[in-house]
Amino acid sequence: MQRFLRALTIATAIALAATACTPEATEEIGSESIVRVFGNHRGADAAAFRAVLDEFTRQTGIETSYVGTAAFASRIRERVSDGDPPDVALFPQPAVLGEMARSGFLVAPGDEVVTAVEQGYADWAIDLATIDGEIYGPWFRLSVKSLVWYPPPVFAARGYEVPATWDELEALTEQMVRDGFTPWCLGMESFGATGWVGTDWIEDLVLRLHGPAVYDQWVSGEIPFTDERIREAFAEFGEISLEPGQVAGGRRAILSVPVLAAIDPMFADPPGCLLTRQASFQEGNLPEDVKIGPEGDVDVFVLPSMDADNVPLLASGEIAAALTDSTEARALLAYLASPQSGVPWAAVGGYNSPHMGFDPAAYGSDFERRLGGLVQSAEVVRFDGSDQMLPAVGTGTFWRGMIDYVSGVPLDRVLSDIQAGYPEDAS
Amino acid sequence: MGQADMGGSTEPTEDERGFAGALSPTGSVLHRIFQPRVWEDGERNAVLNELFFEGPDWRPFLYRFATLIVLSTTIAALGLISNSAAVVIGAMLVAPLMTPILAVAAALVHGQLDRLWVSTAVLVGGTVAAIASGWVISRLAPGTLTATELTPELLGRTAPSLLDLGVAIAAGLAGGYVLTHPRAGSSLPGVAIAVALVPPLATVGIALELGATSAAQGALLLFTTNFVAIVLSAMTIMLVSGFVPSDRRLMVKGRLRVGFAVALLATLGVAVPLTWHTIDVVSDQGFAREVISAVRQWDPAGRIIELEADVGESRASVRLVVASSRTPVPAWRLAELLAQGREIPVDVEVQYRLEQRDEATAD
Repeated sequence: MQRFLRALTIATAIALAATACTPEATEEIGSESIVRVFGNHRGADAAAFRAVLDEFTRQTGIETSYVGTAAFASRIRERVSDGDPPDVALFPQPAVLGEMARSGFLVAPGDEVVTAVEQGYADWAIDLATIDGEIYGPWFRLSVKSLVWYPPPVFAARGYEVPATWDELEALTEQMVRDGFTPWCLGMESFGATGWVGTDWIEDLVLRLHGPAVYDQWVSGEIPFTDERIREAFAEFGEISLEPGQVAGGRRAILSVPVLAAIDPMFADPPGCLLTRQASFQEGNLPEDVKIGPEGDVDVFVLPSMDADNVPLLASGEIAAALTDSTEARALLAYLASPQSGVPWAAVGGYNSPHMGFDPAAYGSDFERRLGGLVQSAEVVRFDGSDQMLPAVGTGTFWRGMIDYVSGVPLDRVLSDIQAGYPEDAS
Repeated sequence: MGQADMGGSTEPTEDERGFAGALSPTGSVLHRIFQPRVWEDGERNAVLNELFFEGPDWRPFLYRFATLIVLSTTIAALGLISNSAAVVIGAMLVAPLMTPILAVAAALVHGQLDRLWVSTAVLVGGTVAAIASGWVISRLAPGTLTATELTPELLGRTAPSLLDLGVAIAAGLAGGYVLTHPRAGSSLPGVAIAVALVPPLATVGIALELGATSAAQGALLLFTTNFVAIVLSAMTIMLVSGFVPSDRRLMVKGRLRVGFAVALLATLGVAVPLTWHTIDVVSDQGFAREVISAVRQWDPAGRIIELEADVGESRASVRLVVASSRTPVPAWRLAELLAQGREIPVDVEVQYRLEQRDEATAD
């Protein structure tokens, strides 16, 4: 820790010295030296991120303010077009980062940050933060998305086994229905971002049904939504979300229950459901007193694949980038790119670091260490597809299409409506 | 109340001026209000017999008490769950809990330990039976009540404040007054309604069954507040009205002091959490006013339809429903406005309702 602090102080000092010499930088500092940070963390996550920012302030003396919004993708565009950009933003969608960079709203973070990113992160993570050959900032948090949360005590009492394949998962849910349970909890309501839970399901299913090559082509727009293979993934999701008796509360609940509260019925007596597919960040939003782990009230398994030997992992996270040209903003990016910047968040849980140099001992629980191991050992890791698609589709028609699909719009209509978000299909 | 058998008059004694007489000049005012007088033994015993489960009739007495406890809590619980104030008030009129509480007060002022233990046992038994009845009703009642969605009638009994202590003290004084002034007997139902004992206990049972622990604690605090305040103020009335014979008072002076001190300390004890609750409520109201003025700045075209503002130790939260005729203003701007100059973060949840006028004519 001591050594890390010293290294960090030196790194920050260099970063400050390097930028403080340039005349533009001194003009930018002005009277207000608060770095205004904008992101999508709210509630408990915002409190955890605040602890990270406070540690930055403690080490550098630079003050920060943070605002988190539920509808980041549209709000950041509003702020930029209103001429009121934040100093630093945490982009959950690499595609929105790309859009902002190409429109000239992002500021290059400087050599210090670029070097730190190049040395500290895996290639796929660097690629996503690189727009037209330019690295814009570090990944700060990594969430594992392909997780199914379940209650081990109920599984033990009923003799249920964690499924290793998609067929086993289907057999398990059929058994649950026969035993009088509703297998799934599922809620998609997420303010201006409602629908993303559905897109996650589709992405996981495309990866599992057709593999990473098809997934990449689909994400880049080469394979359209109307393709039979994508249709198959939607139909598989429909087997769960549209069939009566599969989801607690049915379609109405899917459309109206807030994403991270969907799991709550699992802990009722009798349990309202026994499975919910949600990312690792569910951990920071579990009901009070719920313990995680094989011996606890809730645990996770990776959403099984059709092929037990090839289980791909879907991940998401946030890239920090600067929107104003200031020494303080660059200092914050340099800090976030340092190996241990996530330590205060890791200590309270619900955080995995994408930095290769992050010390696993800093995780507050075995759960995070386990997730870290999952990412390390997975053969195939893919970033959330909708967050990389053209924003008009990824955070537009795809989200809306999931709402339509669950609402009962016929699948072919849903798929062609989503595809219509791409400009070449707009005619 | 027992009909007093007025015996032949005796010479005025110190007893006639009673406890109040010793407190001059306040004494003369209290004297007029409470009309302290000599109580005949028979008259006093008639009143006390109404309070204590004694004599050959104690069994039917207890059965009647138990029956009324279960029935009144059942009525109260059903009224609370169905959110019917009228039904809850009905339950208050049936509730028999005032008797053992006044009995505890009477036993304390008379320094009668055996009667104190018996009354306390009856009270504890009644309390447990009431909570259990509430629990059972909540378990049996059909409906969609959950720990997070309690009815307003239930919620109103989970966050007692100093106002509730004030009501309980005044109602306890009234209860003691009615008891010691039998001709005022007709106002007893009013006392029972003002300081309801059974509905808070029914709320405790319902909240426990639903797993709403903090709501159960709040309702139990309300019951405890009512209980200790009634005991303290009823003791005071019994002492100033000459209900306790002076020779008895002198004989049990030590016990009387201890009993009074315990009742006083218990009242001060419940006043502490009540004060916290009151501060919470006041600071929430202050925060709500800030939110209202911030909303005007944030979206001048917006009209607040619903507002929930809550300031906690580590964060503040706002739930807002706004009607507006223009494009919604992002919630983060309101959160940022509210967080300015505040040490704790502010969570904001806004629901916009689009208001649009439209007119048409056809023929």
